[in-house]
Amino acid sequence: MISCRDFISELGNLLDDDVANEIREQLQAHLAHCNTCQVLYDSTRKTLHIVTESGSFEYPGPIAEPLVTKVMDRIRAGCQLPNNDAQES
Amino acid sequence: MLRALRIRGCGDFAMGFLPEMDDALSSESLSALKRNFGLAPKIYRAQLLRPDLVDAQVHLLDQMLFTKGALSRVQKEFILLAVSAENNNSYFPALHCQTLQFLGIKPEQSQQIAIDHREANLPPPDVVLLNFARKLASEPHSFTDSDVESLRKSSFTDEQILEAVLMVGLTQLLNCIQMGLGTEPDFKPRVIFPLKEVNPVALLERQTLEPEFTGDFLADDPDFEIVERVRNGETDAFGELVRKHGRRVYRSLLGILGKPEETEDALQDAFLKAFQHLPNFEGRSRFSTWLVRIAINTGLQRLRSQKEVDSLDEENEEFRPRNIQSWMDTPEECYSREELRRLVEKEVMKLPVKYRVALVLRDLEELSTEEAAAALGLSIPGVKARILRGRLMLREAMVPYFTKVSAK
Repeated sequence: MISCRDFISELGNLLDDDVANEIREQLQAHLAHCNTCQVLYDSTRKTLHIVTESGSFEYPGPIAEPLVTKVMDRIRAGCQLPNNDAQES
Repeated sequence: MLRALRIRGCGDFAMGFLPEMDDALSSESLSALKRNFGLAPKIYRAQLLRPDLVDAQVHLLDQMLFTKGALSRVQKEFILLAVSAENNNSYFPALHCQTLQFLGIKPEQSQQIAIDHREANLPPPDVVLLNFARKLASEPHSFTDSDVESLRKSSFTDEQILEAVLMVGLTQLLNCIQMGLGTEPDFKPRVIFPLKEVNPVALLERQTLEPEFTGDFLADDPDFEIVERVRNGETDAFGELVRKHGRRVYRSLLGILGKPEETEDALQDAFLKAFQHLPNFEGRSRFSTWLVRIAINTGLQRLRSQKEVDSLDEENEEFRPRNIQSWMDTPEECYSREELRRLVEKEVMKLPVKYRVALVLRDLEELSTEEAAAALGLSIPGVKARILRGRLMLREAMVPYFTKVSAK
């Protein structure tokens, strides 16, 4: 039987539906008798649903094309940024 | 000196080296490389101590490979690919698979040519041509007139046969230079020859190749074509990338900065940086992942300049959820969508930035765990831990709004 600590360590994978069947059965067996983890699982799952359905941090449509224009204007003008943040591909 | 060359050849080309190559090589050489390979291959970057010799090699390629001859360009590339594979070379098969894809040959067929060209569904004359090339490369001591005759029987002209021999010789030269400099592939190889097989004694075991290619590959990137157009000088094509990825960059930045006006400025900076560094983008991740990584760094730099960034170091202390109270069955129905949006944005912005960014990428931008890890430069377990912590902290913050005893 797994502990609450074990359950929480696997909670992320359970929410992402990324657990092997054998582990899923153990997690579900734990949920069946642990009200605390049941509440935790249920409320975190609902939190995720609210986050994904809330339309938060959305990209306002009207600014999209003006931003493309601004970026391309700066590129064509040869605008340079300080080269202190090198990116690796 | 050789060791220094090897180190330079194997890595640390991420930034600043291509412009140096632009300066060092003649513009004809550089444009010939980019036109014919789609990039300036690392094997030439590794020789910039002698740009004059790189120019000479590019001229050789131009005359022997790029210029139309008796053999078609595809047939020449087949020889380069098959002989490089015969030599257990892992650099050139990747490059020639890529080039052949430019020429309309599917990667799966190129991969099969590297493994065994006889099973690659090639026209019979091309199979004979590659039999000839592989034998000349691997068993030159047993090579006879009958091998030449086999090409004649397949209607190859003497001029084509001469080109085939020269192409084998060119491949040996290129393979030898690459092995000597230890240059790593420009792309993740589709066929990887285990190191033990470099030992000639193990030659007979050479068929133990890795059959499956599982990683990202530049040509599989949906943005590959646009990226190449921009890299080939079509600056306006970059606008298509801004249009296509603006939303993702904006949302990633807004999740870090929280302020729309500042996010718009940061978005412009992020795209400008991406444009400036595009020559160094090597396709080890998808363009979109690379771009999000630039955006995240841009956002974090702005936070740092405002001294609003918390430590990005890992924390070892365990997070203990509190407020274990049952939630309503459908909590989202208690509030309007606009109220929910404001609530989520307000509470997400209260999270420490390292958890916030991970959560925004995974749960708002809906990147896969692997993509989020690549964008953040974290391991998979590392990013999973941050995502989970962010989710649990957000849940904690939401408790007052959604428990059964809470009232609107």
